[in-house]
Amino acid sequence: MKAQIESIKQAALAAVSAASDTQALGEVRVRYLGKSGEMTSLMKGLGALSKEERPEMGKVMNAARAEIEAALESKTAQVAQREKEERLALEKLDVTLPGRQPARGTLHPITRVREDIVRVFLGMGFEVAEGPEIESDLYNFQLLNVPKDHPARDMQDTFYVNDSYVLRTHTSPMQARMMTTRKPPIRVVIPGRVYRSDDDASHSPIFHQIEGLAIDKHITLGDLEGCLLAFAQQMFTKDTEIRLRPSYFPFTEPSVEVDVTCAICGGKGCRVCKGTGWVEILGAGVVNPAVLEMCGIDSTEYGGFAFGLGLERIAMIKYGIPNIKLFYENDVRFLKQFNGEVEK
Amino acid sequence: MLAPISWLKDYVDINVSPEKLAEKLVAIGFEVEGIEYQAKKATSVKTCKIVSVEKHPNADKLRVAQVDIGSSVIQVVTNVPVEGGEYTAVALDGARLADGHEIKRGELRGVLSEGMLCGPEEIGMTAADIDGQKEDDILRFPEGTPLGEDAAVALGFDDVILDVSVTANRPDCNSIYKLAKEVAVALDTECREPEIAYEATGDDVRGAVDVKVLNDALCPRYMAACVRNVKIFPSPRKMRMRLRAVGIRPINNIVDITNYVLTEIGQPMHAFDLRYLSGGEIVVRNADEGEHIVTLDGKDNTMTSSMLAICDAEKPVAVAGIMGGEFSGIQPDTSTIIFESAKFARDSVRRTSRALNLRSDSSARFEKGIDFASQEYGLKRALTLVYQTGSGEIGKGVIDVKVDYPEVKDIEFTTAQLGRILGCSVPKAKLVSILAKLGIPVTPKEGGKLVAHVPDARSDIDGVNDIAEEFIRVYGYSHIKPTLFKYAALTRGGVPRDIAFRNRVKEELAALGLNECITYSFTSPSFADKLRIPGDSELRKWVSLINPLGEALSVMRTVLTHSMLEVLAYNAAHFNKSAALFEIAKTYHPKALPLTELPEEREKLVIGMYGADADYFALKGVAEGLFAALHVEAEYAPSSLAFLHPGRGADVTVNGRNVGYLGEIHPDVAEAYGADVRLYAAEFDLEKLLEECTGKASFREFSRYPSVERDLAVVVSDEVPAGDMVKAALNAGAEDLTSAEVFDVYRGAQIGEGMKSVAMSFTFSSVERTLTDEEISSRMQKIYSALESAFGAKIRA
Repeated sequence: MKAQIESIKQAALAAVSAASDTQALGEVRVRYLGKSGEMTSLMKGLGALSKEERPEMGKVMNAARAEIEAALESKTAQVAQREKEERLALEKLDVTLPGRQPARGTLHPITRVREDIVRVFLGMGFEVAEGPEIESDLYNFQLLNVPKDHPARDMQDTFYVNDSYVLRTHTSPMQARMMTTRKPPIRVVIPGRVYRSDDDASHSPIFHQIEGLAIDKHITLGDLEGCLLAFAQQMFTKDTEIRLRPSYFPFTEPSVEVDVTCAICGGKGCRVCKGTGWVEILGAGVVNPAVLEMCGIDSTEYGGFAFGLGLERIAMIKYGIPNIKLFYENDVRFLKQFNGEVEK
Repeated sequence: MLAPISWLKDYVDINVSPEKLAEKLVAIGFEVEGIEYQAKKATSVKTCKIVSVEKHPNADKLRVAQVDIGSSVIQVVTNVPVEGGEYTAVALDGARLADGHEIKRGELRGVLSEGMLCGPEEIGMTAADIDGQKEDDILRFPEGTPLGEDAAVALGFDDVILDVSVTANRPDCNSIYKLAKEVAVALDTECREPEIAYEATGDDVRGAVDVKVLNDALCPRYMAACVRNVKIFPSPRKMRMRLRAVGIRPINNIVDITNYVLTEIGQPMHAFDLRYLSGGEIVVRNADEGEHIVTLDGKDNTMTSSMLAICDAEKPVAVAGIMGGEFSGIQPDTSTIIFESAKFARDSVRRTSRALNLRSDSSARFEKGIDFASQEYGLKRALTLVYQTGSGEIGKGVIDVKVDYPEVKDIEFTTAQLGRILGCSVPKAKLVSILAKLGIPVTPKEGGKLVAHVPDARSDIDGVNDIAEEFIRVYGYSHIKPTLFKYAALTRGGVPRDIAFRNRVKEELAALGLNECITYSFTSPSFADKLRIPGDSELRKWVSLINPLGEALSVMRTVLTHSMLEVLAYNAAHFNKSAALFEIAKTYHPKALPLTELPEEREKLVIGMYGADADYFALKGVAEGLFAALHVEAEYAPSSLAFLHPGRGADVTVNGRNVGYLGEIHPDVAEAYGADVRLYAAEFDLEKLLEECTGKASFREFSRYPSVERDLAVVVSDEVPAGDMVKAALNAGAEDLTSAEVFDVYRGAQIGEGMKSVAMSFTFSSVERTLTDEEISSRMQKIYSALESAFGAKIRA
């Protein structure tokens, strides 16, 4: 019997060694160790042996069985490892093929610029407000120190609804609305659509402005410059500089135009800044005491500053958009370009 | 304002380049929009001498000239009948002419030509600009003229002209003289006064004409002078050239003098022919209602009683400050003229000019506003020019009818006040010297106060803020250092909830893959018909513009869908295979028409899409995604809106309130917009969504035990909306039901005509334990019973 065990064992070990995949190993297991396998059948024959022989033979048989098990296990592990490696090799991808992107939406560049600007001023304690686009002549002009038949009306080509109502030509009427309804201190930015009857290569009859107003007991032109410098450095680059130039608006006195160092050439002079190194971006000034008085604020006690700028102009500078018409064509090839940005 | 530098130099010494001068002017508040070099209108046009001329071998009308240009002799083929010996001008190879043409050497009928002989037009001049120059002839220079010089320079056509933008608060600077004063301030130098020097030898003006001013509010000052034995001839060349440089066509000596004074002093003048002043009278009065005047331009104007007219004893002879009558002007045989130099109220001139649609250089000037000193200055300057040009015999005296006016306005202030406005220190001595240069003397007063004595010409200076501006624009804004609310209170700031909500909606829609667009707020009134809006709809009440850019941009929109469909159609027509867009904007709804109070402006959201991935459910998915983010529970019911596909549109309600619609656009409507693809759109009222949304995410406990899913397929009538079935199932009273969804709808012969099979999936889970089969079965039974009683649902066999 011993010889028989030895012979089965040898055959089983040879079969294990010969098996090359998981399936063959399974068959080997069934054939030798399965319920009706050769080794198991032999095991059943133990009962026929004498009492003395049985433990001896049992030991031998168990040893043989353990040897086959061990061989099977080690070979199975070996084969599984190999098979896994083969599968992984088969699963190789061309990692340079494109991924599947979920559709990605965008905000209009005007919205992006608007929110960028609003964020800067929120940080300086400004609130946000909006106002009516169809506006009364009173708020759009008269309370801003532009009476009827005043030459300053020529500064803006106005769309009229009738004698008393216009499409607002600027966001400035909200200055008057804030001042007539609030008590200082007031610090507010007012973004919105505005309208001028001007339609050519560089003008759109509808465009966007953002207005700023700060009223308190002691606000200086220096504070205006500080605010606008903070804005310009946030919007463009950290080393952007600004300069004030005298100008005229009926509702501010003194009035200034504000230039920033050209974002394209960094102030060296290029086509965008017409070689000057400076780009005009907004108008501003000290709120005219006459406006304060008309709006019911004591000009001997309070003062402040106001500014207004065009969002299209800022967007054109910031993104290098060559033509204002592109904003309103709404071609998806344009709109899709204004994806997320990372501030640096 | 066009300002030739040569003219400015009459009053101020300018020793810097035009570019530097422009920079200095900008720094004190005068933007320079352009610098024009007359001599650079054409390049490489040189003086030359025709040495010899031969006939062209191949062309009868052409000649071949040898032309000496100083450094060499070149050959030019020309059709000008030159004989040889002439001094003229030639454009060399590579020259650019005033009209933009470039000259290249080349063969003309087989003979080499190395240039082109030039007339005045080629260098940007006219024959009238050059004494003795004939029309349609080449330029002629005197014998001995140096050769090879720039032809324009040789003709003195080499001025440099600044285009200065004068702001509305400085009407006085619409004149060479006042601008020269600013130049003197900018260059820190002195300014000379215009020359006033003439001899009045004729009879007194008061014998020739009598002036009555009946409305001194609209005409606060009227001056007149008389010139007899007038001789009419072309003005001297210098005057003509200067007028042309500022864009005024020279006419004759008298008209040119009035235009010269308008430009130089800023005072509009008019010259009346005395023969046409009936009764020898000038009466400044309001026109009679309906009174007619035919103006110089031949236009018949009907005036109203609010308009000011210059009249003689019988009739209007001019619309005050705007234009003279047809016979008021200078004729070749005019012998006696009356110069008018008046101040008319700017708002009156502006209103009248607009009402009559009548404009002139004079009205443009009056509209900006004019000071009291200019009338006398202008009149005397005009008489000086009459005297210098020998244009006639000047009558003694001037007529001057004027109201009392304050020649000087005093403004009291302290340097501390200025510092408080500007945020920089204000050195007193510097301040006084700057204001003095600007013609504003300052005197000290007790208590450290100062008083500025502001002349009438600076009516823009009203108070301390104006004084601050005058100081700082010359002192320099660079003296102000940036600060951040150094002396002001802290404020809280923030975003109001409607704006925050809108921003949120925009971000969610972008996250759902849509691109934001922005369209015009005004559109064509035809939008209502295109969208099949019923005749009695409130949406047909809109605000119209009285001066739109055209019919297509003439009314304020009451819906956004129209603009969205236009944008979708535009994209489809411009090679974009698909688009998914949204816009948030206002619609405008008048409370009454004509407008007597501000209209209601409502914020709306419109969504639009087309392309391979676009269909009803893609659109609805976007709406559902948005509503989920906003915590809004919306319900959908078939819509009867006429611009939607009859079977693919839904009205959307939230808490029983209609908030908008969504659906496929009716193919006929899509076609009307020029789209050849299926369009999908939705429009929602953003204000209602804000009111109805709960806005808050809050924690709900979820089960730690396995959930159980069960499917059920029932047969119902085709008309039963699946949404109603889901609602009925959820309300069937089946405990622990956490979701009910439709996953398949099937129609077919086995189901039966007019019926459909709706397959639904239900999920149950309890937070306390695992549910048993018996519990699930009894709950499914409740659901089935509810569907059966509500819709007659039968289990699908």
